[in-house]
Order: sequence, then C-alpha cells, then structure tokens
Amino acid sequence: MIGAVFSLELRRSRQLASWLLLVTALYGGLVAAVYPVLRDNMARFDEYMKIYPKAILEAFGMVGSLADPGTFWNTYVASMLWPIVAGIAGILLATRSSAADTERGWIELPLSGRLPRTTYLAAAIGVQLAVLAALAAATAGGVVAVGWIVGAGFDAGRFALGGVGIWLFGCAIAAVTTLLAVVTLSRGAAGGAVAGALLVMYLFRALATIQPDLDWLATFSAFHYLDPKAVIDEGLLPVGDVALFVGIAAAAWAGAIWAFARRDLIA
Amino acid sequence: MGTAVETHGLTRYYGQARGVLDLDLEVREGEVFGFLGPNGAGKTTTIRLLLGFIKPSSGRATIFGREAWADAPLAHRSLAYLSDDPAYLGELTAAETLDFLGRLRGLQRGAWRPLVERLQLDPTVPIRRLSHGNRQKVSVVQTFMGQEPLLVMDEPTTGLDPLMQREFLALVAEARAAGRTVFLSSHNLTEVERSCDRVGIIREGRLVAVRVVRELLGDHWRSVNLVLGSPPPPGTFDLPDVRLLASTGRDFHLMVRGDVRPVLRRIVDLDVSDVSVTTPDIEDVFLGFYGDGNHPASEPAAVPGTNPEPAGKEAPR
Repeated sequence: MIGAVFSLELRRSRQLASWLLLVTALYGGLVAAVYPVLRDNMARFDEYMKIYPKAILEAFGMVGSLADPGTFWNTYVASMLWPIVAGIAGILLATRSSAADTERGWIELPLSGRLPRTTYLAAAIGVQLAVLAALAAATAGGVVAVGWIVGAGFDAGRFALGGVGIWLFGCAIAAVTTLLAVVTLSRGAAGGAVAGALLVMYLFRALATIQPDLDWLATFSAFHYLDPKAVIDEGLLPVGDVALFVGIAAAAWAGAIWAFARRDLIA
Repeated sequence: MGTAVETHGLTRYYGQARGVLDLDLEVREGEVFGFLGPNGAGKTTTIRLLLGFIKPSSGRATIFGREAWADAPLAHRSLAYLSDDPAYLGELTAAETLDFLGRLRGLQRGAWRPLVERLQLDPTVPIRRLSHGNRQKVSVVQTFMGQEPLLVMDEPTTGLDPLMQREFLALVAEARAAGRTVFLSSHNLTEVERSCDRVGIIREGRLVAVRVVRELLGDHWRSVNLVLGSPPPPGTFDLPDVRLLASTGRDFHLMVRGDVRPVLRRIVDLDVSDVSVTTPDIEDVFLGFYGDGNHPASEPAAVPGTNPEPAGKEAPR
C-alpha cells in the first residue's frame, strides 16, 4: 500500500520535477560552459570584478576568484540557483500531501482505507527525498557533464559531494515545511512562512557578511551552514554542517509524522 | 445481531462552536440507518468522528467494537466511505483513481469494472473532464466495489440523476440483502424513506429521535377526505385518534393518527362517493422536528393544510 501512495505522489510531482530538472540541468550546463572563459581570463575578470563593492560580492558568495571551482559553484549554484529551486520544490511538495490535500478534501479518500496516517505521510516524504535528490543530481550533473565537454576540468567526485550538500539543505527546507504544513494544515500559511524565512535568512547572511558587527546574524541563517566551497576545493563534506541539516530534516519530518497521526484532519 | 456503529456521549466542539453534542447512537449490523438533518446539524462532523478524521472532545465512537479515533486503520478495514464532496485528482482517470483507492483497501486491480458498467461510467476519462454527476458515480462505485461490512455514506446521491438515484437505491438494497450495514447521512428525505430501516434525526448537534421509518410514518397523522352521497349517522367518526376538522354535510375532512382501518370500517356501509387518504411523507415528519423546534413528530400541525389542535402529545426524545 505504501508503494501505491509513493507511486501516486511521485506521479503528481512529475510535472513540477520535470520543469525544475530541465531548469537546473540547463542552468548548470550553461554556467559550466562559461567556466573556461572565466578560468582562462581570470586576471582580467578579477580586475573587472573589483569595480563592485567587495561587501556586495561577499554577500553573494563571491569570496575568492570565480575561476576557483568552489567559488564558482558557491556563487552560481549554492547561493543563487539552488535556494530558489529547493524553495519551490520543497514548499510545493511538502505542503501538498497534508495541507493542500486536506484543504481540497482529497485526503479523506486515501485515509479512509487501511493505510495508517504515518505510513501515508512517510510515503509522501519519500517522494520529497527522491525529487530533491534528482534535482540536486541534475544540478551537479549538468555542471560536471557540460564542464567535461568544454574541458573545465571539474572533479566529478567533489561536485557529487557538493550535490549531496545542497540536497541536504533542500531536505531541511522540505522537512520544516512539512512540519509547518501538518501543524497549520494551510498550504498558504506554511509555504509563506518558509519562503519568508528563507528570504530573511538570506538577508541575514548578506548583512552578516557586509557588516562585521552584525556577523552574529549569520548564526541564524541556514545559508551560513551551506558552504560547498570547502567541499569542491578540498573534497570534504563539513561534518558539522551536514549533521545540522540532517538533524533538522530528521527531527522536522519525525515531528510532522508524529503530529499528523494525532491531529484533526480538517482544514 | 451485533452492533456495527456505536457512540456514547460523542461530543465535538470546534473551538467554542458546537459540532455534535452528547451523541448516543447504535447502528445494528445489517440495517440501513439514515442520518437526517439539515446543513450544519452535525451530520458530517459525526461521520468524520466515525472515520477517525477528527478527535472527539469527549465520548467515544466504535466501529465493530474498534475505537474510531485510536484504532482508525483497523476500524477502516471494516468500512467503505463515500464523501459528500470528494475532491478527486483531476489528472487521474476514474480507473486510476478507483485502482489506487482499491489498493488502499486491499482490493484487486479492476474490482470496479462490474459497477462501472452497471452505472455506465467511462473509466478512461480524466476526472477533471467528468460532470458532477459522473464524479458522483465514481464515488458510488468506489464505495460499493469492495465487500466491507459497513458502508458510511455522506450525501450519496447529490448530483445523481433520477435513474442513477434509483440504481443507487438498488445497490443499497443489495448491500442490505448481503448483510452489509449502511450508515447513510442525507437531507434527501425520499432517499431515506425508500432505503432506510431506521432513521436518526439530528438537530443542532443533538440526536433528537431515532425511529423505525415505518413506525415513524405510521405514527403520523393522515389526512382523510370523504365525499358521501348522504349525511352519515351522528357519531360516525367518534373514534380514538380521529378528529373531524371540517364538514359541509357531505364532505368530511378528518385527521387520523396511525391506523386508518377503523375509519374505513365505519364508512364501508355508507354511501361513499369518494375517499382519499393522504399518507404523510417523511418530509412532514422531518418538518415536525424542525418546524419551530417544539413540534413533536406526531402532531397534525406537521401535515400541510391542516390545523388540528394538539393534545398533549409525547415529545420526541
């Protein structure tokens, strides 16, 4: 029975996932195609970048040279593409099976069967994990594949680790959204709260970078812990940051399942 | 005969607002139980409590002895549910929807085929393209396609055309003949009258009466109109539970409570030109519970067009 729910939820995610996969793969490929130009003209490009205020560049993750693969990935993917993609996918997927389906009335039908609520939500969470993994893989894969074609010289293993890092970040977003969706049973409330929180955390990270006396704000930003530069440059996943995302995701999803089994299903 | 559905003191508030209050109900195995009430009376809340979708504020509900809230998945093994406003996924066809929901009830793929043919539903069309009536057919198929011993239905015939309503009533009759129990919430009085053995009437969250439908109708006041060729002997209509409301000498308008045969026996030897007996439909009975909040079901005031004086009738429980 859990397979039936997983299959249906995966099918319902097909259109969203297909478009986002296309966007991430194309975007990853596009920036990878540009990379050799950056690398081969590093001196001139760095000179050009000096016309921008350093604080602004740092706020957008451009710490170091864009010819450096870690900075390149951090700037174009981790700080730009992925928060948007993970936010869209995480919010839409995580609010659908509980809040949106309760609001529309669909949830009464599958849950009038033999499947426990916990199993039902677990299957939906499985789909979140799978879709986010596919998106992270498409992002890293697009960069590495096109990079290989244009001779960028990317280390596929390190970029794969970078993909794992952004996947875990996406999972944390989806898990927190799932919990909020179960608690509020309102897609608008849960999705709006998470989107707003992501914007605020992005702002916190930027402010903390620009203004040294506000660096404490970074502590409250998830983006502060999403630092793939070291992963790409050194080939090591930062254990603390990974553990943080895994912990948040596991706790939020577990909380969501616990709450879903105990709450009224009424919008 | 065991008990299929049982509630004790079942109460549910939505914040300060009343859902249902102190509901004591017993639905016996094998019967068709109608649950009547207007919108907002608490019918859907009761069904949600029975399905374990919402938690009681107090009291309990059981399905074949299993707690509806705490043991919901186990209780659901014994029932099939028809929602009053099923929000199907528009991108799925009826066949895909029915197969999916069937799998969650442990049914074989395609268990819906005989019913789809019987109700003349095209299972290959995406649900978003189906009319409201055809979507309701999907609900009916979904409910009846298994062999669960209890069918819980919330406003099942909304949107069905008269032919399909008849087919639905036939399905209910077949379910009863097969020993299945039906709990049918409705404000369609005709549907309840035709299909149910007993009826519970809910008003403002409280169960105000549970009656056998036949008795409910039988206890009610009937309107008897007589046209005689000549005036009857004095005292002809002096019978218990018979009231003469109006007379023109040859035309007589009587109200008879319950059995009309004593009146018919009195007039059998008279010069009767015409006689009509108007049996109350369940709507009259229903209005008796809802009209002004004080009329018991058996008062003649519930029968349109008459106004006999009430005489200390027993209030419904």
